[in-house]
Amino acid sequence: MGLHDHPDKLRAAIQSALDTLEEERATETILLAYGLCGNGLIGVRAGRCQLVLPRAHDCISVFLGSPASHEAVLKADPGTYFYSPGWIRGRRVPGPDREAYLRACYAPRYPDDPEVVDDLIEADREIFAQHGCAAYVDLTNDSAAESYCQDCARHLGWKYRRLPGDPTLLRDLLTGPWDAARFLVVPPGHAVAQSPGGALLAASAT
Amino acid sequence: MKTILASLAVAVETGKRNDAKNLTQSLVDKGMAPLDIVEQGLVPGMSAIGNKFKKNEVFVPEMLIAARAMKECMILLEPLLAKAGIKPKHTVVIGTVQGDLHDIGKNLVSMMLKGANFGVIDLGANVDPSKFAAAAKEHGASLIALSALLTTTMPAMKTTVDAIRASDMAKLKIMIGGAPISQEYADQIGADGYSADAASAVDLALSLVGETH
Ligand code: B12
Repeated sequence: MGLHDHPDKLRAAIQSALDTLEEERATETILLAYGLCGNGLIGVRAGRCQLVLPRAHDCISVFLGSPASHEAVLKADPGTYFYSPGWIRGRRVPGPDREAYLRACYAPRYPDDPEVVDDLIEADREIFAQHGCAAYVDLTNDSAAESYCQDCARHLGWKYRRLPGDPTLLRDLLTGPWDAARFLVVPPGHAVAQSPGGALLAASAT
Repeated sequence: MKTILASLAVAVETGKRNDAKNLTQSLVDKGMAPLDIVEQGLVPGMSAIGNKFKKNEVFVPEMLIAARAMKECMILLEPLLAKAGIKPKHTVVIGTVQGDLHDIGKNLVSMMLKGANFGVIDLGANVDPSKFAAAAKEHGASLIALSALLTTTMPAMKTTVDAIRASDMAKLKIMIGGAPISQEYADQIGADGYSADAASAVDLALSLVGETH
């Protein structure tokens, strides 16, 4: 989960998982249910197999069914923070359990400096200061996760909002066919590249 | 003074703002020029933590407390810089583009620019495209700096560049940055420069306003 915060580590981890999958001779196509993910997918290379990715900013676009619906939510309220069942599972999302998570993470790094740990926790709170809306996105009906998200909103004094998930993009990724408007097919020997226009993703020969 | 400067850099890097403030004050008391304190104490500390962040050795809150330590020292030094008659020669208007609330990188860039004696007008985050040209005009700025951290808000960067180019401040230099941004993207949207981190942002800013380091 920490990989999310570090696109460079995410890239390396995905590449090594792909390399392992490609060793299996029967594998022909590998589906990546990721989007750009802060450019964490940029530079990921296809070896012997082809890769297929949804044209998405990140998992939130996937849950909402398209990058356009994702953009619309952020445009209407940039202070939206998205929660999904998987993201909630780490108990590191902004909410009642985040402080305990952070203490567990920082205390061993600063064993003789409790003051710095307190400062770091305060700094973390500041990080979320401009947010004001907890938006829950889900493709299942995980009522425990949903009620946890409501707890988070209450704890933070944020608005709560449930956004309807749309499984179409994920389903079509799994079944194909992959139309070029919504999916990127990376041929063997190519890499995922950025395409800053509406297409988001491209394949490059290098 | 060398050892105090070195301790100051460490205090900034590790986010010890009280130590940093005290060390800054003691350098001032010893008669060191405020700009030297910035350039030889604060900036190296901030660059050090920036490099560790890039190598994934520290987390964002660790960057933030370092930035806060530097900021408090700057608050101490700014009036002295002004008294010493060091007027910023160039002013830059900086902000994070509309729809984007990420401001940590932008704040670092603006602090480093201040450290390099730029006047900095910080418009904050989630800034309306039309505000940049207006602020630049009001403050006589020679440079605009835009930050974006989300691929969903990169288009807002283009909209903002277009808005500036369509205004009566069209000739202003524009520099852009943020994790998903690249030189290629800067070329594509007609920005004058891109740089990958706060330290190189200063070099870029200097070259865009025609000063060489
Ligand atoms: C901290 C953080 C947050 C904080 C922001 C707090 C704040 N006040 O800024 C919080 C938690 C609030 C947050 C929220 C969100 N975030 Co966020 N966030 C990050 C994170 C982990 C670090 C960003 C950061 O501060 N880095 C530290 C600074 C120092 O680095 P920097 O910003 O890159 O700046 C340096 C350079 O880029 C450059 N630079 C920056 N600006 C400029 C400008 C100029 C002119 C120049 C020359 C240079 C320059 O110099 C800086 C200093 O060296 C990144 C992941 C990452 N590692 O990048 C994700 C990340 C950017 N976030 C992401 C996402 C998805 C979100 C949310 C949508 C999440 C959600 N669940 O809702 C929201 C969006 C809110 C919004 N509307 O803006 C994604 C973006 C994916 C995408 N689609 O593009 C990332 C990449 C994480 C990921 N892998 O998914 N986030």
